[in-house]
Order: sequence, then structure tokens, then C-alpha cells
Amino acid sequence: MSGASCKANGAVYPASSAMMNSVKKPKMEQIQADHELFLQAFEKPTQIYRFLRTRNLIAPVFLHRTLTFMSHRNGRTNAKRKTFKVDDMLQTVERMKGEVNLPLFIPSQNSENEQNSVSLEVLLVKVCHKKRKDVSCPIKQVPTGKKQVPLNPDSNQTKPGSHPSLLVSSNEFEPSNSHMVKSYSLLFRVSRTGRRDTNGLVNGEANENIDVTDTPSRKKRSSSHRDEGETTETFVAQMTVFDKNRRLQLLDGEYEVSMQGMEDSPVSKKRATWETILDGKRLPPFETFSQGPTLQFMLRWTGDASGKSTAPVAKPLATRNSESSSPMETRTSNHRAALMTVKESVSTDIQTRKEQVLCEPRQKLRIFYQFLYNNNTRQQTEARDDLHCPWCTLNCSKLYSLLKHLKLSHSRFIFNYVPHPKGARIDVSINECYDGSYVGNPQDIHSQPGFAFSRNGPVKRTAVTHILVCRPKRTKPSLSEFLESEDGELEQQRTYVSGHNRLYFHSDSCMPLRPQEMEEDSEDERDPEWLREKTATQLDEFTDVNEGEKEVMKLWNLHVMKYGFIADNQMNQAIMLFAENTGAHIIRRNLCRNFLLHLVSMHDFNLVSTATIDRAMARLRQIQEELPDIEEEQQDQTVVSAGFLELEN
Amino acid sequence: MFNTNRQKIMDRTDILNQEWKTRRIQPVHIMTSVGSLRGTREVIPLKTLNAVASVPVMYSWSPLQQNFMVEDETVLHNIPYMGDEILDQDGTFIEELIKNYDGKVHGDRECGFINDEIFVELVSALSQYSDNEDDEEEEEHDFKVEKMELCEGKEHPEDPPALISLSVCLSVCLSVRYKELTEQQLPGALPPECTPNIDGPNARSVQREQSLHSFHTLFCRRCFKYDCFLHPFHATPNTYKRKNLENQVDTKPCGLDCYMYLVQVSQRSFIHSFIKYHSSVNCCSPSSVSVFTIFTSIKQMGGKNSSFVRGNSRCQTPVKMKLTGEAEAVEWSGAEASLFRVLIGTYYDNFCAIARLIGTKTCRQVYEFRVKESSIIARAPAEDEDTPPRKKKRKHRLWATHCRKIQLKKDGSSNHVYNYQPCDHPRQPCDSSCPCVTAQNFCEKFCQCSSECQNRFPGCRCKAQCNTKQCPCYLAVRECDPDLCLTCGAADHWDSKNVSCKNCSIQRGAKKHLLLAPSDVAGWGIFIKEPVQKNEFISEYCGEIISQDEADRRGKVYDKYMCSFLFNLNNDFVVDATRKGNKIRFANHSVNPNCYAKVMMVNGDHRIGIFAKRAIQTGEELFFDYR
Repeated sequence: MSGASCKANGAVYPASSAMMNSVKKPKMEQIQADHELFLQAFEKPTQIYRFLRTRNLIAPVFLHRTLTFMSHRNGRTNAKRKTFKVDDMLQTVERMKGEVNLPLFIPSQNSENEQNSVSLEVLLVKVCHKKRKDVSCPIKQVPTGKKQVPLNPDSNQTKPGSHPSLLVSSNEFEPSNSHMVKSYSLLFRVSRTGRRDTNGLVNGEANENIDVTDTPSRKKRSSSHRDEGETTETFVAQMTVFDKNRRLQLLDGEYEVSMQGMEDSPVSKKRATWETILDGKRLPPFETFSQGPTLQFMLRWTGDASGKSTAPVAKPLATRNSESSSPMETRTSNHRAALMTVKESVSTDIQTRKEQVLCEPRQKLRIFYQFLYNNNTRQQTEARDDLHCPWCTLNCSKLYSLLKHLKLSHSRFIFNYVPHPKGARIDVSINECYDGSYVGNPQDIHSQPGFAFSRNGPVKRTAVTHILVCRPKRTKPSLSEFLESEDGELEQQRTYVSGHNRLYFHSDSCMPLRPQEMEEDSEDERDPEWLREKTATQLDEFTDVNEGEKEVMKLWNLHVMKYGFIADNQMNQAIMLFAENTGAHIIRRNLCRNFLLHLVSMHDFNLVSTATIDRAMARLRQIQEELPDIEEEQQDQTVVSAGFLELEN
Repeated sequence: MFNTNRQKIMDRTDILNQEWKTRRIQPVHIMTSVGSLRGTREVIPLKTLNAVASVPVMYSWSPLQQNFMVEDETVLHNIPYMGDEILDQDGTFIEELIKNYDGKVHGDRECGFINDEIFVELVSALSQYSDNEDDEEEEEHDFKVEKMELCEGKEHPEDPPALISLSVCLSVCLSVRYKELTEQQLPGALPPECTPNIDGPNARSVQREQSLHSFHTLFCRRCFKYDCFLHPFHATPNTYKRKNLENQVDTKPCGLDCYMYLVQVSQRSFIHSFIKYHSSVNCCSPSSVSVFTIFTSIKQMGGKNSSFVRGNSRCQTPVKMKLTGEAEAVEWSGAEASLFRVLIGTYYDNFCAIARLIGTKTCRQVYEFRVKESSIIARAPAEDEDTPPRKKKRKHRLWATHCRKIQLKKDGSSNHVYNYQPCDHPRQPCDSSCPCVTAQNFCEKFCQCSSECQNRFPGCRCKAQCNTKQCPCYLAVRECDPDLCLTCGAADHWDSKNVSCKNCSIQRGAKKHLLLAPSDVAGWGIFIKEPVQKNEFISEYCGEIISQDEADRRGKVYDKYMCSFLFNLNNDFVVDATRKGNKIRFANHSVNPNCYAKVMMVNGDHRIGIFAKRAIQTGEELFFDYR
């Protein structure tokens, strides 16, 4: 999931800009007009996809290799997940520390079978600086170990821990006394004999070790045929660890080295080719991979940084990777295909390997893109020899993947697959029904930029449903799904998402609902403001109702509206609550008798008992006593009118 | 960090662009350079803004959680604007619309430009100048009258004699009118038919009916509100019968000065036989006969008047004698007298209670006053002997017959559902002449008929959730009545939403949280916040309740707008959520909806409930079939 690998995936492959250019034909004007129409139809979407492509390279939204139909682009395997144990993590950590050297992985059981194993010798070759007397550079070969490695191992039997491993002590990389070492390289020597060497390794005591896990993955038929003979064959390969400038060339990773027969050609630096998955150098023929035997190994630098090691730092990785994309572009398509093959062979997933086999015969197919435009009355055809997407140059490597990619990633067009004797024809037309509407978090449109990252404290964000994992029923990949449907039946695609994936609005103001307003229903009050006002004005309009009555009625109405009483048997309770809530107000406004009249009226309607009236009035008196100040205040006003106040004072 | 990232991006783009240059692909611009005013080049990152879609049109409306009844509009309130084309091309539509309202359009004043307010304002403005010269005022009046004439077009200004005579007559009328209008503005002044405020300074001594008139006429027994929004006609409580006589006389005297001592003394001193009776009454049958009845009967039987009683009591108990003497001197204010008359109609002879409620008089004083007023006060009604206590068995039988009846009604269901109106036909059983029976409605608790009425719905006795046809309420498309269905839980847990009965959601307003957003189909749509189960209540469809005629008139306009919120409630009324409503009004129509609407009888009102037709997921848009 590293940035490096995604760059490799999205590496810029040669794009076919020729597509845009109309084919030159004699009638210039007609061609011109035709070209205009063509551009009209395809220019804009193409530019958009070009832009998106670049954007995806720089800041990828997703990785193509994670898509199901692109699974063959995924070099990583999840096979380890099944056997993963938490305890393994400790092991890994300890291994990284370098204190605990893992001298040997137990050779896989295959090694016991003589037929299936070869012996591998790893030598550290030190090329020293020429001294004056020397004709050629003095070369020192330090043997680091010999191992039995399985030959053409079955991928599901290989367990992560079952590979044989070799350790190269970091002492070896220290400058030696006698010579100034110019460069270091690893020489792999594979001899095809039944001999087993159980020699232990010289374990380095230093922090830095090279831990090599070798797995010659497969030898091609040619080499195995030769094995029939009794003679011991030797294959060699050499890889530079530190170059002349003491730059580290071999980084952690899985390698596959193409081996050369010893007899065929003497080992030379030039013949030894190496290839990393990530690094695409302009390389000598890749055909060697498909012809000669290869050696797969995993290289890991162990040991912590506290050591005095100087050379290997992370820096070179970054710089080289960042440059890596450009050289790849220059490669021809043939090489690319080869590169893909190699990659696939690295992966141990059987499934992908099978697909690979299926794919291989299609390697050479031609794909004709037929562009339909001007209401499908005109067409232009472009042919391509590879399975790269013409818009984003993504290598889909399979026709099915290509079609699926086109359909899903370039939905501004409609693609129809038509089988063709030489390969495939893809009819491209403009999708008139393209829906480019925004489907992200609806809040993002309306909320102010940066609002969510406000420094004034935490900010609530909207609950929005995003699909993280979706496992729909997958049909078996079949090219028939890209054929033009005859009855034009639209795929009944029900939205997978259920949840809040839209922006909501306030029903009164049509303002967007902010995240923090999601929870409360602003419009659910039983007594909206206007209704409260309405009931007051409606009562005010009566001319034959006196003001005391009106006031009590209003208070009661608001009380009922607030609590929403619905049953007769709630009334006793409602009255008591009314006395409790509005008692003070009633006393202050001098409405006690009207209040009593209201109670009696309720009693006349058979809604409350006399006991409730008694209780409510008693409560009112009680509240009155608790409000002595107001009473005195009111005395002046009420002394003439209200008799009972006089008496109580 | 930002800079390094940007550097990275820049580098990459450069590489890309270089590469593309060779391939004749348009280069990508990540940064746009802007020349600033000072001449230095500044580079700012390109920020692409998302296009914000405009929201659909929404006409303003008022939120409501309960239906609101409005009267028919007799005048066209506005001429609907539907774009210039409609007005130009289809003038007949507006004409027809106006014809629907008999040509009346809001704003056509009967008397032209002047109304009462302007008139009062004008006269008061003119009166500032007219202090000195009455003639001028007269002239001004004339001038105004002239104006009025002009606008009415009755008289020609060229006709001076007629004008003058008319103006004189009119000015008299106007000055009278002016007086009326200005007097009305005085605070506290009330029309003669209105009872003055009982708490106010002008409280008068009035009869019970008068005091309670406003409360009785304006109170809605169904909404528990005064002048409610839903029921235009309120039944007065006069004929409501007390179910049980709760007015029990306090058996204990309320204090040293209690009137009971007075009564008891008088009784003891005279008629011994009655003492026994009295005590037996007090002890054994507390609910039946009041003290006062006994007392009056004593009076009547002994042939003595009250003064005689008092005189005797004076001899034996000097303390009380003194009290009685005082009592006669007490003055009763108008408010107190009114209050007494009100309370006596409720408490009858429980003078202690009355005195407590009046607060300013002792029970003795009340008692004295009662004696004085005895002629006008009705007695406590005797216990209804014709209604023996119902037996359980009988009730059960009643219930069973009802269930059968409901079934029958269901089977022979006509599509006509009529609005419920409480019936009121005193001393007549609910037979074929009862409006409830003819409308095929049950009698409700609001009806004036007896609770034994055969047409009453008995409620359910479910112990389950009342969401199957086992529940008679559910079967009858009624919500459980909290006053009838006492076992299902419809009458419990008023505060919480966790009611065991699932058939009382509309009345409790247990609606779901709905969210408004532009619809996936058309215009606005309504979306549910939480998932709901099948048949769960979602919301009530609220709005204005209008008559069918009014709905026809409004519908014409709505049809033209192609947007209608009308919903048939029953044969008499329609719910219109155009002007007032709740959020469910935004639910769109679908032939394959996820909700259904059901008109239910909820405590005497027809109400529209929207329910889930299937399980609905979070955030789904709600639809129901409009047809």
C-alpha cells in the first residue's frame, strides 16, 4: 500500500494521442468538418479524463489494484493473513532489532526431495580499487553460505517461515585492511546437483545483516530438460550491493534474478540483470526471464540504525523512486507486457497465475476503438495493440479488465464490446445520460471551507453514510456483459447506500440543516409561535368576554397546547399543573376568581372533581403566601376592588 | 509540510508535462499564476468549487401539528399569479375563479376608501382645529361627506340643496358613529351584554349562568381549550349529567365558627327525632342527603321560620348569638355574591368548602347568605334512581354486541364516512333519528346521550398492542380512546413514548423525525431519519380542514398550479396542507409507495395517519399513493 507501489501502478505508459488525430484522407474540407464533429463529441470528456488521470497519479483517490477486476495488478498476497498470529508480530519486531539473529529458516520439506531442490551458494564479491601494480581490479570472493533451495516450489506449500535464509555479516562491508573496496556485489551460484550442504552460516555479530531468503521460483522447461543429464549445471547471477560510489543498490524487497548458465557465458557484471518490482530501469531484454531460469529471493536489511553503518539510508529509495516513473515511459509495449508477466509470476496467488495463463494467448490481440458520433451516424476507428486504457493509459492487461475499467471509470462514454476476429472492437459513444452530480458528503458543498477544522474547538460533523465495504453478488467475469443490450434494458441498479447521504433543509427557511441541528426536530413543536399568538388574538376578538376571562382562557389554552392533553382523565392532573405553573402569574394579575370560575366550568363539563378544585385553590393560596411582596404591592390597586385581599391582610 | 508537498506535486507535474509534450497531450495546470497589482507574480492553488444546485421552489406555509378548521372563504383573497402567460392567454380561468366567489375579490371596499379607523383618525385630527370654529368643523364634515358621496356615486355634487340636507343628516349620523367608535376605545368599557370581570372593580352580582357564560360557551370539551381551532360548535355543559354525586358534605365542622354548630344546636334544641336522622345521614349515607336539605325539611316540618331558629339558638349559646348578629351586618360584594351563586351550583350545601373557595367569607356567613337566597337556588339533585348501578355481566354483553355490530358495519361498509358531531337530543335514546346513528358513527364520550347508549363505542379491553384486528378499536379504524380503553395502555405513560398500545400514535403525536431535502423524484421530498418497521406510524397529515365546497374552489387553483395538498378526510371535510401543514406534506406520490394513509377516528375527529407500508430504511424518501 506504499506510495511507491501505487506509483508503479499508475506509471505513465505511452498514451495514444493518435486517437485524437483524424486519419488523413484526401478530401481535406470534408475531413476538416468531420474532424470538427469528432472533436465536438469527444474532446471535452477526453480532456476531463486526462485531467483526472493526472490527478489520480499525484493524489490517488483509490488504487486500481484494489479493484476486483484488476486483481491481477495486485502483486501482494493475502495468503499470510490466514496463518497470521499476533505472536508473530513479536517475532518480527525482534528480528528487526537484529539482536536475535535468525540464522536459518528450516529448509522446507521439499528440500529433502533431491529432485526438487538445488544448492545455492551465495558469495560476496568485493571489487577493490586497482593498485598500481594490478592489471585488473582485484576481486575478492567471500563465501557467505550455501543452501538447499526448493526448485519450482508449489506456492501454497511455501510458508513464510519455511524458506532457507542466509545472513551476510555487515563486517564484510567494512573497509578491509588490505584493499580499498570499490564495490560489493552478491554472486549467486546455483548448482543443480542433489548434494546437500548443511554448513552453518557465519553469523555476523554486528547489527547489520543481510537476510536472504531464496526461492528459485521456477525454472523453465528448457532448464529442467537439461537437468535430465547427469552433469552438474551451474547458473550464476550477480547483483551489486554497493556501487562504486558506495551507494546502496539493493534495497529491501523481493527480487527475481535471471540466472545465466555458467558454460554459456562467464559471469560478468553486464550480463547479470536484476529487476525490482518497483524500479523500472531501462533494461536489457526481459526475455531472459521467460527463457532462462530465475531465482526469487527476498532481501532484508536487518539491524537498527544505532549501528555505525554508513551507506544504507532511506534516502536513495526516495530519490530513485521518484524518478522511476519517467524511464518506464520510454519502454516499448512489448517490454511492458513482459514486465507484467514477471510481476505476476512473483505473486504466489494461484488464482492470478491461472488467469495469467489464460491471458497469455490474448497478448497479441488488436483492439479496435470505433468512435461513434453525430448521433451515431459517423464513426472513426482506431486500433491498438495493447490492453491499455486510451484515456488513462492504465495497463489493464486483460480484455475483461479493460472493458470493465472503461465502463466504470469513463462513464461519460458508452462502451460496447463487439467480438472481432483479430481481437475486439469497442464501440465508443457519448453517454447522454451521464450523471455528473456530486455524490460526496453533501455538507461539504455548503459548509464553509475549513469549518470542520476550526480552531475554536471540536465541531460536529454530519452523519453521512459512506460505503466502506460492499460485497454485492458478483457474477462470473464474462465479456458478454459488455455486449450491447438489445432491448436497451437499463441495469436495475438499486442504490446500495441506505442512510443519510444528502443535504437536508429546514422546512421553514429552506436553509441547509447543519450537522449540529440534525438531532432535534425544529418543526415538531405542538405549539408553534404563530399558533400561540393566534389563539390569543382569536380570544381577544370577542367583544362579549371580559378581560379577566380572556386572560385566564389564554393562559389555559397555552397550557393545554404546551402539554397536549388528550384525555378526560388527564384533566385533574392538568389543572394541578396549571395551578403550579401559572399560579404566581394568576395571583399577580389578580385573576384568582376567574381561575376559580374556570375550574367550576371544567367541573360543569364533568372533567374535574370538586376535590381537584379544592386542591388547586389551596395550592393557589399557598403560592400567594409565598409571594408576600407582590401582595403588598398590589394592595394599593386592589384595595377598592378585591375584597378578599383586604380581609386577608 | 505544505511546501514540500507542493514541491512534490510540482515536480511530478513537470515530469508529466514534459512527457506529454512529446506525446502531444495538453499539459496540466495545477497552479494558476496571477499577476498581482504590484507587478510581482503570485501563485495560488487552484480551488475548484462544487456547483451548488438550487433548491426547488417552496411556497411559504405555517407549521402545524394538529388540524385547523377554517371557514369557507366568501371572497377571493388573491388572484393567483401563475406567470404572465397564463394571465395573457387564459383570462377565462381568472374570470371563472372570480365567478366562484360571486365576483367578490378581497380589497373591494363596500364604502369606498374610508373605514372606521380612518374615520376616527380623520375626525380626531380635524377636531384639533375645530375648537374655535364650529362652522369649520361642519364644513370639514361636509367636505368629507361630499367625498363619500362621490365615491358612492349616489348624489351629484351639482345638486346643492339635496346635498346640504343630506349632509346635515349625514353629519348627525357620523357624529353618532364617531362617539360610538371612540367610546369603544376606552379601556375597560364593555358592551352591555358582557359580564364584568369578576376580579375587576366593576364586578356585579349576577346569576351563575351569567358568570360562567363565557367559560361555558367558549370551552371545547373535545380539545379542552377555549375557542379551539378545530370544532366550531361547542356543546354547553347544561345537559351533561353528573355521573356520581361527589358533593359530600364535610362531616366535620371546619372550625369553631362553623355553621354546623349553628345548625346542630338548633336541631338539638327542637326536634330530637331529627337529630337521630341527621346523624344517621351523616354517618351512614354520606352520599345522599345534605345537611341543608335536612335543615330545610326541619324548617318546613316544624313550621318555623329561620328567625325562630335563630332566636332559640341565641338563648342557648350566647357566643354564637353574637356571631349571628354580626353575620347579618356583613356586606356581600358583587363579586362575592356571583361567586357564591356559582359555587352553590357545584358544591350545593357544602358551605365550608364554598367559604374556603370564596376566601373572604366564613361558612357561617355563607350559610346566612344561602338562607337569604334560598328561593332562587336549586336543590341538590336527587340521586338518579332510574339508573341502577350497572352490572358487569350486562356490560360485557353490551360489549359483545358491539363487537358484532362493528363487524356488521365493516361488512356493509359504504364508502361514505361522515364527520362526527356530538349528538344532543335530551330524553330521547339514540335511535334512527340520532345524527350519530344516521351518519353511521358511534356515539362518543362527547355526546349528550347517556353513557349506556347502545350506539356508544365501548372501547377495547386488549392487553396486547392493539395492532391487529383482534382489537375492536383497530377493526373499527379507530384509535384507542384513553377514556374508554383502560387495559391496553392507551391511558398510561403520558410522558413517555413507550406505550404498550400501538393504536394511539396519532393522538399522542408520536411521529417520526422527518427530514426535508430535494426529492429524487420531483420538487421537495421528505426523508425519514430513523428506520421504521412495517405498519409503524410515521406522521399525521395535518392541515387546514375545509369544507368540500371550499376544497372544490381551492382545488381549481391548485390544479392550475399542478400542485395540490388536498386530502379527502370524509364526506364533509377535506384537509388542505397548502397554507398550514406539517412536513409530511412533502411526501411525493408513487404507485409503488412505501407508506400508506389511513383516515382514523381519533377521539371523535377524523385524522389522517401516514403509516409504513413496509420496513423503511434510514434516509429513505417517503411516498404514498395519493389516489
